Amino acid sequence: MTPTPGQSTRPERPRLRARTVGIAAALMAFSVFAAREVGFDPSTFWEVWSNPLWEKFWPIPWDWVFDSGNVLQPFVETFQIATISTILGCGLALPVSFAMSSLTTPNRPTYLVSRAVMNVVRAVPDLFWAKLMVTAIGIGAFAGAWALTIFSLAVMVKLFSETVDGADPGPLEAARAAGGRHAPSLRTGILPTVFPDYVAHALYVFELNVRASVVLGLVGAGGIGRVLEAQRQFFRFDRVLGMLVIIFVVVWVIEQVSVSLRKRLI
Amino acid sequence: MTAATQRPAPPRWTGERRGAIGVVLLVAMVWSISGLDVTLDRLLGAPSDAWAILRQMIPPAFARVAARGAVGKVFESVYIAWIGTVIGALLSLPLAFMAAHNVAPIWIRVPIRQLFNAIRAVPELILAVILIPITGLGPWAGTLAIGIHSIGTLGKWATESIESIDSGPIEAVESTGGRWVSSMRWAVFPQVMSTISSYWLFRFEINVRASAVLGMIGAGGVGSELVSHLVFRDFPAASAVLALTVGVVLTIDTVSAAVRRRIITGGVGGDDSSRSAEALSDLTGINHR
Amino acid sequence: MSSARRPAPSESPKQADEGEPYPDPDTPVIRLEDVSVTYPGGVEALRGIDLTIGDGEFVVIVGLSGAGKSTLLRVLNGLVPATSGSVVVDGTEVVGASAATLRQVRSRIGMIFQTFNLVNRTSVLNNVLMGRLSVVPAWRSTLGLWPAEDREAAMAALERVGIVDKAYVRASNLSGGQQQRVGIARALAQEPGLMLADEPVAALDPVTSRQVMGDLQKINRELGITTLVNLHFLDLAKEYGRRLIGLRDGEMIFDGDIADVDDDTFRDIYGRSITDEDLLAMGDSPTDGSEGG
Repeated sequence: MTPTPGQSTRPERPRLRARTVGIAAALMAFSVFAAREVGFDPSTFWEVWSNPLWEKFWPIPWDWVFDSGNVLQPFVETFQIATISTILGCGLALPVSFAMSSLTTPNRPTYLVSRAVMNVVRAVPDLFWAKLMVTAIGIGAFAGAWALTIFSLAVMVKLFSETVDGADPGPLEAARAAGGRHAPSLRTGILPTVFPDYVAHALYVFELNVRASVVLGLVGAGGIGRVLEAQRQFFRFDRVLGMLVIIFVVVWVIEQVSVSLRKRLI
Repeated sequence: MTAATQRPAPPRWTGERRGAIGVVLLVAMVWSISGLDVTLDRLLGAPSDAWAILRQMIPPAFARVAARGAVGKVFESVYIAWIGTVIGALLSLPLAFMAAHNVAPIWIRVPIRQLFNAIRAVPELILAVILIPITGLGPWAGTLAIGIHSIGTLGKWATESIESIDSGPIEAVESTGGRWVSSMRWAVFPQVMSTISSYWLFRFEINVRASAVLGMIGAGGVGSELVSHLVFRDFPAASAVLALTVGVVLTIDTVSAAVRRRIITGGVGGDDSSRSAEALSDLTGINHR
Repeated sequence: MSSARRPAPSESPKQADEGEPYPDPDTPVIRLEDVSVTYPGGVEALRGIDLTIGDGEFVVIVGLSGAGKSTLLRVLNGLVPATSGSVVVDGTEVVGASAATLRQVRSRIGMIFQTFNLVNRTSVLNNVLMGRLSVVPAWRSTLGLWPAEDREAAMAALERVGIVDKAYVRASNLSGGQQQRVGIARALAQEPGLMLADEPVAALDPVTSRQVMGDLQKINRELGITTLVNLHFLDLAKEYGRRLIGLRDGEMIFDGDIADVDDDTFRDIYGRSITDEDLLAMGDSPTDGSEGG
């Protein structure tokens, strides 16, 4: 094979771009700085393992755990919070998602306002909502339900608006061309297509809500988390661990059920 | 006499099923509300209570809050989220290579996958609750909690990335006599690093919110500020802290989303912005060393 | 001017006269004895294959899809384990060999794939360097600290296939024909004694296909590397092959000189008459002749 002209000269080895080096150095410097600010302490990894406090987690008092008043009842409350939040939050998310998608929004102001509002709502950490509700409404499951409703709304809107954005615009166009008004067009032109995804997302949100209500209790918003926090404050870590095990099992079961239900929907 | 109705989309729900679902939902709602100790006056009173508080939140007392050092606390939340994400990313990556079914044998990938699931099941808040008695209060507890939890989520996402690659280059490495490590480094790594690094950034966005929340139980960051203002019912200060937090979260979200987009598209083209994207792609495994 | 020594890739190619019997069939590089392969699903891909291939031969393998061509190539480097029989490559038994032995054998065998199997997101040079993985210490290759002599070998391989100017270009930016050349360069960088090509031109257009086949033929003649090529197109087989092996349903139906092959032979191998799909479309002949400059 005679090398044709230009093919026998080897190209220059490209040098690492100054920009690349600069960005890498900046990231590393930032990391070192941030690590110092948070009190990075590698010795903790070792201390965590060997701390005598772990003994307080054992043995698990199963008789206390299975006593219905202690764990079962709060769990029922957790499910109630999760259910109502999912229904309300996802219900609200339906029109809001439609307003947020350029495909299905009724008019431009609605589009802009809904997107702006949802951006802000999503930027607020979920438990801040919980604390706000607790302050406004008082401690208890009621506040928790409100907080989780907003949380469900935020998550559902994010998931569902992506679905709507990706939906086939054809049927909607046909409905409008036939003279349909806004809501009926959506109902016939888009809703049937996206409904399975809607239900799948709602199931996922329910799953998240069950998990979230565990931590809600830490700020006093009811559910199993309230018992968890109470026991933690009394340093009854063995009970805490027992509850965590039960929570883990329940969450895992719900996840399996949810995954199989969702598979049948897609 | 057929009575078929035309629908523009494949029908999945018939009339009776929908009625049944509606009834189930109604029952569920009633049942759940019954457990929430909701009384009528509580229900009616809630909106006006909320409105009263809302009115007190405007205008937000930025100056007062800044004087108390709230801005520093917000940054502390960002540092916590950053280091936590770094810990999670660095530890999850090698584990993910051992968890993917197309590159790891079953006796090692099953335990590691279960490890990821177990870690993911524990919310950061609970982790922090467990860690605080050991590490003491402060940002390090929050960082560890976020870091450990991130190992679970990042590990799962990284594993899924690795499992979706083209196996051709792996076969090529095997055919030259290369070992498993070389196969990972040269056949798998370049294919997945841009996706995985965008997941890292996405996780950072979520972790900023998580670290703000962790502050509420004393694990560092701005959460503690919010809690103390609310407890003392100092609503203008509380709304100022809220506004600060939201502002920082939105900024980070926007920047991160832009960077992630460009990492994924790989920086085609030569203008300034996409060159920085190329720089980041270089960092993540396509370098020419 | 025949030479028993195999020149290194960086040396200038020696010219082989047309009439010289270059292949040395008395030195068997490959010996298969009664090799059978049954896949886990129960599919019998190879049945009782007996085959001997000498040093420096250029062998073309044809057969329908599913006849066992890919399997035959892959039992040679152990990518597919033989269910029974013996596979000896360059003096080493491959069947039942340990992982370390397999890696050693593979380092001496270069393989080219129908889908090129390049890492798209990285440079051409990095792809070719993968051919040096078996000789470079693992820690050096993992960190990307390739020794100078291996970089040199990679560059020389790229020069030999004529695309060294693309060394630092991202692999996905190359055309199909160029990508396959990178694949060939990667195999060459191993300094192999045996080259296996699994339908190397199936994804390429007629002109490029001829170029690639010409490259393979040149490598075989100038470097003396034993070459086995799976081919789908019968006219290419007749044009470039020297020895032809025909597989049908996992059995070897034909094994002989290309000159003894005619349309009836192909019909036996395929079990049906030849259609247009079995022939490469008639394209222009390549501009660089297969004769060597």
